[in-house]
Amino acid sequence: MSEIAGRLFSWVNDRLPIVNTFERHLSKHPVPSKVNFWYLFGALAAVTLIIQIVSGIWLIMPYSNTEEEAFSSIEYIMRDVDYGWVIRYIHTTGASLFFAVVYLHMFRGLLYGSYQKPKELVWIFGCTIYLAMMAEGFLGYVLPYGQMSYWGAQVIISLFGAIPYIGESLELWVRGDYYISGITVSRFFALHVVALPLVLIALVFLHLVALHEVGAGNPEGVDIEEFLDDDGIPLDSVPFFPYKVLNAMVAIGVFGVVFSIIMFFFPEGGGYFIEMANFQEANPLVTPDHIAPVWYYAPFYTMLRAIPDPLGGLIVMASAVAIFFVVPWLDRSKVASIRYKGIYSKIALTLFGVSFLTLGYLGTVGVTEIRKTMSIICTIIYFAYFLLMPIYTKYETTKEVPKRL
Amino acid sequence: MIFTSKDLRIFINALCLLIAIFFVNEIYGAEGGPCKEYGECDKFQYSLNDMESLQRGAATYINYCYGCHSLKYSRWGRVAKDLQIPEDIFFENLVFDKSIKTGDLMTGAMSEDSVNWFGVEPPDLSLVSRYKGDDWIYSYLRAYYEDSSKQYGVNNLVYPGTAMPNVLLSLQGNQRLICKNIPIIALNGGEKRDESGNSLLKEKCGFLEVEEGTGMLSKEEFDTLIYDLTNFLVYVGEPSKATRERIGWYVIFYFLIFTALASLLYREYHKDYNK
Amino acid sequence: MQEKDKTRRKVLIGLTSAVGLSGLPFAATPFIAAWNPSAKAKAAGAPVKLDVSKMQYGQQIQVAWRKQPVFIVRHTEESLNSLELALPKLADPNSDEITEPYKGLYPTRSKSSEYSVMSGVCTHLGCSPKYFPEVEPKPWDASWNGGFFCPCHGSMFDIVGRVFKGVPAPTNLVVPPHMFEGSILTIGEDKEL
Repeated sequence: MSEIAGRLFSWVNDRLPIVNTFERHLSKHPVPSKVNFWYLFGALAAVTLIIQIVSGIWLIMPYSNTEEEAFSSIEYIMRDVDYGWVIRYIHTTGASLFFAVVYLHMFRGLLYGSYQKPKELVWIFGCTIYLAMMAEGFLGYVLPYGQMSYWGAQVIISLFGAIPYIGESLELWVRGDYYISGITVSRFFALHVVALPLVLIALVFLHLVALHEVGAGNPEGVDIEEFLDDDGIPLDSVPFFPYKVLNAMVAIGVFGVVFSIIMFFFPEGGGYFIEMANFQEANPLVTPDHIAPVWYYAPFYTMLRAIPDPLGGLIVMASAVAIFFVVPWLDRSKVASIRYKGIYSKIALTLFGVSFLTLGYLGTVGVTEIRKTMSIICTIIYFAYFLLMPIYTKYETTKEVPKRL
Repeated sequence: MIFTSKDLRIFINALCLLIAIFFVNEIYGAEGGPCKEYGECDKFQYSLNDMESLQRGAATYINYCYGCHSLKYSRWGRVAKDLQIPEDIFFENLVFDKSIKTGDLMTGAMSEDSVNWFGVEPPDLSLVSRYKGDDWIYSYLRAYYEDSSKQYGVNNLVYPGTAMPNVLLSLQGNQRLICKNIPIIALNGGEKRDESGNSLLKEKCGFLEVEEGTGMLSKEEFDTLIYDLTNFLVYVGEPSKATRERIGWYVIFYFLIFTALASLLYREYHKDYNK
Repeated sequence: MQEKDKTRRKVLIGLTSAVGLSGLPFAATPFIAAWNPSAKAKAAGAPVKLDVSKMQYGQQIQVAWRKQPVFIVRHTEESLNSLELALPKLADPNSDEITEPYKGLYPTRSKSSEYSVMSGVCTHLGCSPKYFPEVEPKPWDASWNGGFFCPCHGSMFDIVGRVFKGVPAPTNLVVPPHMFEGSILTIGEDKEL
């Protein structure tokens, strides 16, 4: 029996590079031997993507993308479909945790300079993934056609209207109607379940291909390729399989605990993951008292709100995301990791982190005078972190990076 | 060790600062609560495993609310099953329309005239506990008071100008808005006193008080009735909530075991390159 | 590496994989269960009630239960008596080859001595047979005693839905669970079953 299986395997392997691929990308793929927990969020993001795809496919089946039935089909899933609530909560929890994991993954990048030469493309693909995710998340949030879906979409689509000359017709074109109707929902549905997932999968593939070409980084910013053993394998490396896979397993276990605590006990996430107003069907005639974006867009929403002019707000919000793409060329430091960068970089990153979280908090609460001032200050700090980076990274005293891990 | 990192210091600093900012913000940016003139909503703690409470709540709902408010996402038979009411007893006592089948949706018993009666269509309440919150319902239903300026002679502290008459008036009795003399609280948290040591009082209004003997139920009984009703609405808002919270423990337990084993295995392999 | 460590590794690998794999069926459960008929589908497929007292003798009516045709025939005494005539033509006169809920109760195959209740779906490939009660030569059978004829592939059944020999349909028409409360027939539910 096992002989037949063996022969079948080698027959296939002669025609499909199974063993080669496994060795090249897993069992013989060298990764730095010493990394910390910050390096686990990439694997978690991949796991979450798979969770979202599987649960998403199962949600497509009972969901109805018409104006009349979109909202009630969600309740149909929650009540009438056997275990439909499990599948929906997996998807809503997964959406929030996907962003959480990706934000931490990106912060790791800033912390340890994961964008520096030669990893620019890895970083750019990553930023594009983030951009696609934002679109994906937004489109998905419209599908239940609740009050927040409607008014959130109303606000975001109105942003197109701020574009000079073509704005108004663009707005109408995106909606395909004079309000966010079933027509809008069904085109958002198509984009959410087919178009953007394809883009995301392609980008994730490119992100990984590029990463495997240039090799993974480490918190020390040491180039492990410099010291090789007799076989040409970096001395400070271990094969990805089984060592890093096992590490990822631990992370997945912890992630599973967090995931299930949220999913089974706080699926609404206190109104941050599923907003209360979204349990009311969309009503184009009544705006809810308090419109807040879901938490993962909140920082950018605050920036939008802080700028009085809609076009200005749109530009600021778009630049806030776009600026990530050029980080590899803004950082002029000789060293990659925050451990060996100077004090300015440390202060800058801390201020950036604080302002980002503050912007996020401000986006979920109502506007007051003091909050408005704070949003403007935080927006300035946010941009200053990036725009001043060429200066403070170049003129600060860095520490000596060790040769080995 | 992989899970400790000196670089975390930055993150912790950031968090501390954020929390500080959060508090500053909360002090200067206090917003009106969802319970409006009632002040803070009364806290409600659901108990979805208390079948008797849910059954009483369902009976109250069907007797007093269902006439106007449908539960259109909920099915009769499912309610009977989840609340552990034998189907024949349930249909005998709680379902007045005999043409209703067990799988039918609770689409309401309201005629077309409803809009004319109340000026607005009474909303479906399947999801009210999810978009208003259980605290809100629990407070709202107990916050009606006499107000002769209104159409039905009542108003509500939680929802001023509510279009709904106080359906439970005969049970609760006449509730009035009264003023009381209460001690003035000094800045240090103690009561302010005059030279002879008596507490200084000031008049404060907005307290609810039921005129004794006007209702069929005592205050405690009425509160229990509303508790059960709210509990039922929490159930209707998400029928699988009790199941969800029950399964949750097993799933968490599973992942804890998995994490423990995976980390033992990881540490075992870790020895290979970190002696 | 020491022998002791090797064993420890093997045990840990075994345990972790076992725990990991044992989670899979549980994780798959919601996804499999979500394909069951939903509460909505079950409500739409609920038992059907109708009053059959107004039916004429020899009349056949068709009702939909779970969106599938169900035939109800009110037999005359005469036609019930002539059931034996068709006997030599039948493939399985006593429904021995299928599980039938009311086997041997009445010649009608139902819970009533007067009415037949059967699924209107041909056991061959799912077409719906037509009712031809007349006792007269038919193009498909020169000695036709009345019964059901399927236009798709020419399967024939007698008036209580028993299949003829030598036709494509392999078994008798299925009798769904049903009950009579007076003249009220409920299809899809039988409290005694």
